[in-house]
Amino acid sequence: MSDVVVLSNVSKEYPLGKLVVPALKEVSLSIGAGEFVSIAGPSGSGKTTLLNLVGCVDTPTSGAVIVDGLDTARLSERDLTRLRLEKLGFIFQSFNLIAVLDTFQNVEFPLLLQGKQSRKERREVVSELLERVGLDKHHHHRPNELSGGQRQRVAIARALVTRPRIVLADEPTANLDTGTGGAIIDLMKSINETQGTTFIFSTHDARVMKHADRVIRLEDGRIVSSGDIAPNGAAGSRPELSVQEGPAPYLAGE
Amino acid sequence: MGRLLLIAARNLMQNRRRTALLSAAIVAVTMLLVLLGSLGNGIQATLLEAGTAMLTGHVNVGGFYKITSGMGSPILVEAERTLKDVRELVPESAQIVDRRRGFGKIVSESDTVQGALTGIDATNEDALRGVLRIVEGSLDSLGGEDLSILLFQKQAERLKVSVGDDVTLSSQVVRGQTNALKVRVGAIAKDMGLISIMSSYVSKNVLRDLYQLDPDTTGVIMVYLDDPDQAATVKAKLREGLLQRNHRLMEDEPDAFYHKFQQVAGEDWTGMKLDVTTWEDELANVQWTMKTFDTITSLLIGVLLVIVIIGVMNTMWITVRDRTREIGTLRAIGMGRLRVLVMFLLETVILSTVSALLGVSLGAAIAGLLNWLQIPVSPGFQIFLMSDTLRLVVAPYSLVMAVVVVPLLTTFGALFPASRAARLKPVTAMQHAG
Ligand SMILES: Nc1ncnc2c1ncn2[C@@H]1O[C@H](COP(=O)(O)OP(=O)(O)OP(=O)(O)O)[C@@H](O)[C@H]1O
Ligand SMILES: [Mg+2]
Repeated sequence: MSDVVVLSNVSKEYPLGKLVVPALKEVSLSIGAGEFVSIAGPSGSGKTTLLNLVGCVDTPTSGAVIVDGLDTARLSERDLTRLRLEKLGFIFQSFNLIAVLDTFQNVEFPLLLQGKQSRKERREVVSELLERVGLDKHHHHRPNELSGGQRQRVAIARALVTRPRIVLADEPTANLDTGTGGAIIDLMKSINETQGTTFIFSTHDARVMKHADRVIRLEDGRIVSSGDIAPNGAAGSRPELSVQEGPAPYLAGE
Repeated sequence: MGRLLLIAARNLMQNRRRTALLSAAIVAVTMLLVLLGSLGNGIQATLLEAGTAMLTGHVNVGGFYKITSGMGSPILVEAERTLKDVRELVPESAQIVDRRRGFGKIVSESDTVQGALTGIDATNEDALRGVLRIVEGSLDSLGGEDLSILLFQKQAERLKVSVGDDVTLSSQVVRGQTNALKVRVGAIAKDMGLISIMSSYVSKNVLRDLYQLDPDTTGVIMVYLDDPDQAATVKAKLREGLLQRNHRLMEDEPDAFYHKFQQVAGEDWTGMKLDVTTWEDELANVQWTMKTFDTITSLLIGVLLVIVIIGVMNTMWITVRDRTREIGTLRAIGMGRLRVLVMFLLETVILSTVSALLGVSLGAAIAGLLNWLQIPVSPGFQIFLMSDTLRLVVAPYSLVMAVVVVPLLTTFGALFPASRAARLKPVTAMQHAG
């Protein structure tokens, strides 16, 4: 299996006044294409820091971060932006949608940034994706007209619309109730299975963790266990969540 | 780009209060810019209209006659010959008139005023007839053989005379003695600002008699052209032509004739020398009114623009702070720095362009309304404005200027905060609280 993310001896320190806060200490890990990985650990253990480094929105103090075969330290700001746009998808804890754009426009936005597709192509891709995440009736709702779960679905659709190799999600379910959160994880998992997209998400929630192929545990900036690489997404089951949401949980409305 | 425009426009709508406030400020400044500009144009237009009728032709052939080298008089000898030469040299002229020039006291039983005395033949003074507003008597009284004077209202009030009354003119004549002459008030005209404070008009014969001049003399030959902008060309042509026809010419000096006495008196020549000037030369000294006004206006506008730019800058800082997380998100999902910059600048561009357009339209409309209402101005301002009602002339190019310059400046003000937004590290922006 080819590795899409490799971290070797990555440390990250944050300056805090005269102090230096070590957030990650000599972390090494690799994540293969198509994995569904959870980053777990207590608050302050460095989960967000790790995801930010993989997502190329932050730079390590030392060590190398290699994303899709590219050493990110060697890339210019411009190249990093390009990498984020083409290869990465982001899902945020608090959804972070563009408030003034409606569902369709939010999802379409990365495609406009890419500028590769015609209006018609974009319309097809976005509509299909919105149907997939169960929002085909909400094209023209603005974020403040949607529930939390719906907003996160929009965010997922936005993260997926460019068909990225890797989707990074920092506590995607933390702002959602358990049922809705389960449905979101289900949706992510099903996309992971059907499209082979690599998902790396952080969570506090043991129930959410169960769905992961692999759980990487952080404590105090170090990896305490990086889990076993399950061959085909077999680690964890999700019957209890599926039951709550019905047969096609990610299609359920709020 | 289209989507960025949409985002910018919608964000403006989202922050309605902020947008409305800033927009109101930009509208107000643009409006003021237009109004003050057209007031300036109005004064300029009035000044030129009044000036070219009352003080100068478009091109003038004046000059000095010196009996001794120590003193010059503003007299043209051989008036007929010179007039004929000028007519032949400027066949394209719209009109050619000649006036006598003098200076003296006007004395009544109650008071004395002093000023320039211009001798005219009212029968061919069309331009003058166009700008003078006679309130009593008739300009025609300065057209015949009568010894008549036209006074401006304030002069008449001070002298306590009205049409039909007699006043006495007294003036120093060439040899240093003082002559006096009784003339009848033939007309009283409305005041015309600065110009009317220190001058009045008399019939040509008055100056002939006062100075005991030869009939074949005059003071200045004034050439009116269809296109005043041709004045410089015509001046050059006249100078050359007059020299060829054996007239002596003074050095070319772009100044009003009444400023040249001293210089002429200091020069070592006698006899007749002609002086050719344009209306711009003659009005050079009255133009200070314009310059003063322009300076005050520019200062005022400058200060207001700076305030608006600071306002825009401030608003932009707030906008950027409010949307720092959004910036982080957009950068994370692959939006480049330039696009972030453009997205924020577009807000200002839209806001200021729409506001400037509105301000310009309002300004032009108000200027039209003020003109139509014929707002009277206070006497103090009348001197300045050369008119007793407010007159605004809206110049199309100044409207275009306002619509271009105001958005440019405000966008410039937004540049700094917006570029700060664009340069933010994505992670820093995302971690921003709020
Ligand atoms: N910008 C920053 N400046 C200073 N210290 C920081 C900064 N960001 C994170 N830290 C510190 O780095 C450590 C790791 O933080 P991080 O946000 O990665 O933890 P986390 O595992 O995501 O925690 P949580 O579960 O609460 O989100 C913490 O000790 C935190 O205080
Ligand atoms: Mg975190």
